[in-house]
Parts: sequence; structure tokens; C-alpha cells
Amino acid sequence: MNLVQQLINGIVLGHAYALIAIGWTVLLGVARLVNFGHGQIYMLAAFVTWWSVAALGLPYPVAIGVAVAAGVVIGLIMQAAMLRLTFAQDLVSIMIVTLGFGHMMRGVAGLVFGGNPQVLETPLSWVEFEVAGSWVTAQDLAIVVVAILFFLLLYLVLERGSLGRTARMVAEDPKLAQLAGIDVRRVYFAVFAFEGAAVALAAALVAPRTPILTNIGFEEVIITFVVVVLGGIGSVAGSYLAGLGLGIFTALFGGFVSPAYATTAAFLVLIVVLVLRPSGLAMGRASR
Amino acid sequence: MSPVLEARNLRVAYGGNLALDIPHLALKPGELVGVVGANGAGKSTLVNALLGWSRGTPSVSGSIRLDGEEIGHLPPHARVARGLTLVPEGGAVFMRLTVEDNLAAAQAPRGSNRRAHDEAEIYALFPRLKERLHHHASMLSGGERQMLAIARALRLGPRALLLDEPSIGLAPRLVADVLRTVRDLVDEKLSVLLVEQNVRAAIEVVDRLVLLERGRILASGPAAAMRDDPRILAAYLGEAAA
Ligand SMILES: Nc1ncnc2c1ncn2[C@@H]1O[C@H](COP(=O)(O)OP(=O)(O)OP(=O)(O)O)[C@@H](O)[C@H]1O
Ligand SMILES: [Mg+2]
Repeated sequence: MNLVQQLINGIVLGHAYALIAIGWTVLLGVARLVNFGHGQIYMLAAFVTWWSVAALGLPYPVAIGVAVAAGVVIGLIMQAAMLRLTFAQDLVSIMIVTLGFGHMMRGVAGLVFGGNPQVLETPLSWVEFEVAGSWVTAQDLAIVVVAILFFLLLYLVLERGSLGRTARMVAEDPKLAQLAGIDVRRVYFAVFAFEGAAVALAAALVAPRTPILTNIGFEEVIITFVVVVLGGIGSVAGSYLAGLGLGIFTALFGGFVSPAYATTAAFLVLIVVLVLRPSGLAMGRASR
Repeated sequence: MSPVLEARNLRVAYGGNLALDIPHLALKPGELVGVVGANGAGKSTLVNALLGWSRGTPSVSGSIRLDGEEIGHLPPHARVARGLTLVPEGGAVFMRLTVEDNLAAAQAPRGSNRRAHDEAEIYALFPRLKERLHHHASMLSGGERQMLAIARALRLGPRALLLDEPSIGLAPRLVADVLRTVRDLVDEKLSVLLVEQNVRAAIEVVDRLVLLERGRILASGPAAAMRDDPRILAAYLGEAAA
């Protein structure tokens, strides 16, 4: 295990983490919401991608689209169920409801897709090339490229233009935003649809790296939590950097210390950072 | 002339406690109506209910018409889109947005023939805002925030404007300035319902005055006639004693 190899591995992992977390970052930054069903949307979207390819015979890019659409639908259904709680900003109830949704999704996945582990093979997994002496698959490269493009686009949308301003208004004061003529309900639906779509996109790209089971998703939700908090809650740029940092840290720790304790170590880092800098690492304001 | 804004049997309750009970209230085109009353009389409850808006969770019933169209069932943003605008108590602005963004965020719906103030008019009205264009609203003084809140409301091109104590926290001279500005807007055909604690200042600019007490209209009439009304005097003294 050489250093360069672990670094490259960490960069790929980091972009995967950032992509997995970005939905929750926006959810928290714009709507002040949490979604503990996040990991199960990831799981379900991974299955949907696999099923679209393996059962329906769809090309992989189309399967990604199907998974993203499924993510949007799940997000909209969740928000529809929680709309009253959202307006009341009743975070404890929202936490419990989203946890419940997560369990239901696991149940549904078990019924529909069965208990066997599945492997999603994409045309990109077969293509390998050499970078600085180590091998990288086209799938890994796709994760990095898509994550960078996705973050750039999101950053531009939220930084400039009226959509970002609307998001910042709703983030700061949803009641006041109504007086400015904003349909806050629609913003909440849009944000949850984005959350579902983003984590589904992440799943469609990242899930081919590991076997797909109905009980995956827990690690993803933990990683998301660490990235969102380390990145400074609601910060898009912060989430990217935190995801990347966590990925590199996990790869190096896993490669040179012990892979078994990598997640534990990540949490240790989180706790240390929170104790030293309670607002996270990012300097940015919420929703940025 | 048929009223721009009209409420009938407007009742608002907070958790079973009736806070407002107004059988009828109307605002004519180009009219400035002042709403006065002691603390807790229901002034904010009234203007908020007209927009269907609240920071709390009141239950509101009754009919509200804007230009003859029933709007009582619409959510706040839809009422705003139809031309009813509220500047809530405490001149609410978006602290994390710049003055420019606060203003840009408010725009009359495209295709409406309502008169919205353009940027030049806003800066002519409030020159201070132009100087502070790129500051965050959190860096403004209380008075400047009030100006920004009013300016934002005007950008929305209101048919009727609800102002909840726009002069609160302002220096006496600024109070007169703000009320004078409101009067000028009304003279340009805007209809305004103005909540004002300062009865003496309000009576100088309003066409009609409505006195609220415990959620009910205790007295109402033309400003000139209300000037010597003993009930207004009592409210006025009550205010002075407070
Ligand atoms: N969110 C709320 N929850 C419960 N009761 C409320 C709420 N807001 C107002 N009230 C009650 O409704 C009544 C009217 O309050 P309101 O704020 O309308 O008075 P006001 O005339 O605007 O007073 P002020 O001059 O102090 O602004 C008061 O008795 C108040 O306690
Ligand atoms: Mg009030």
C-alpha cells in the first residue's frame, strides 16, 4: 500500500462522500430539516439502479435517471407527509418520522428486491487506467467528475441568481419570505425532491463499488452527518471540502493504521473539531 | 366607491381565546386609515389576519375581499401576489441579505398592471438606502431597516398596504418623516391601513381613525372628528401614562 495509491483512493472516496452528503447539506441549509431516512433512500436508489440494469436491461445512464426519478418521488412523498411538522419546525418529530420512513423503505426493499446481495456491474467498472502508478476505474473517475460538476453547478445556482436568493430568504426566515411573495411550501417540496435526487444520484454512481444489500445505508447516513457538520451546516463549499478531507483521512487511516477503525476515527475527528470549533470548519454562512 | 379591502365578521382566536372580533372594516381607494389602541388591543392581530399571516398559530375566520375578490382562503404569498402587502411589526427585513438583494427579492408579478415603485423611485424616497446598497441589512440602523421594509413592500406593487407601526423605535423627527412619506404614497392613490401607537402623530396624516380595544372597534370616524373624541383622548392619555 503506497501513499499515492491511498491518496487517489481517498480522493475518489472523498468525492463519493461529498456527493452522498450534498442533499442533506441543502436540506439543512435551506429548510432547516433533517432526514434520517437518507441512508435508506441511498439503499433503495442503489437497488433501483441495479434492477433497471439487471432486470429491465436499461443502459446504465438511463438507469441513473430512473434512480434519480425514484429519489425525487420518495422525497416528495416524505415532504408531503411532514409538511405540517416542517412549518412548525418540529425537528424531534421530523427526526422520528424520517427514521420511520427509513425503516419502511428497508421493508419495501426486502419485499421487492429480496434479501440477496446484488452486484451492480456498469460498463465503466471494466475500464481501468493508470494514474501515477495506480489503477483507477472509469467508474471512480465518473464519481469524481460528476461530483465536481454537481457541486460547481449547485454553488453557482445558490450563489447567483434569484433561486439562491430565494433559498437564503427561506433559510433565514420562512415566515418573512411569505410576505415577500414566496410560496414557501413549494420551496420545501423542491428542497426535499433535491435531497432525494442527490442521494439517488450518489447511490447510482457509488453503489457499484460495493455489494448492494437492504441493510446498507447506515454508514452513508453517518458519513453524511460527519460531512454536514464538519463542513459547517448548510455550506455547499464546506461540504465538498469536508467530504474530500474525510475521504482522504479514511483512506490513509484505513491503509496505514487499521481499516476496521476508520469510521471510529472519523467520529473522533468530528468530536475534536466540534469541541475546538463548534460551528464546523467552514467560514461560510448557512446555505452557502 | 367600492372598497379596495374589506373584511366582514373577521374573528381571530389564539388557542380558544378570542383576540379579535371585527364585524366590518373597509379601506377605500386612496384612503389612509389609522388603527390605534393600547398594547394588546389587537392591532397587529388585525393586520396580520388580513394577510392570513402570523408568527403564531391563530385560527382566523370571516370574509376578506381585495378589489371585490374573496381572498380569505388564500395562503399569504397568494394574497401578496394579488396586491395585498404587509410590513409586519418590527420592520422585518432579511438580515443576511444585502439592501440590494432585499429589494431585488421583492417584485410585482409580471403582467400585472399594478403600480410598483422602481429602483429610482425607491432611492428618491429613501436616499439612505442607496448609500447602503451593498451592506447587509444586519448592519443597518433600526430606522434604516424600517425604510428598507417599507421600500420592499412598495417594490411589490401593492393595491393595499398594511403597515404595522412603521415608526416604532424612530426618532421623533423621523416618525414625522415616515408618516409624511406614507401620506404622500396615499396621495398617489395607494390605500394604506396604518397601525400607529403615536396617536397624536397619526391623527395628523390619516383620513380615518379606528380605535381598537380588546379586539373590538371601540370608535371609528374621520380624523377631524376623532381628534376631540373623549375615547381617543383616553387612549391618548393611556398611552402617555404608559
Ligand atoms: N402568537 C400569539 N399567541 C397567543 N396570543 C397572542 C399571540 N399574539 C398576540 N396574542 C394576543 O392577542 C392579543 C392582541 O395582540 P396584538 O399583538 O394584536 O396586540 P397589539 O395591539 O398589536 O399590541 P402592541 O401595541 O403591543 O403591538 C393580546 O392579548 C395578545 O396577548
Ligand atoms: Mg402590535
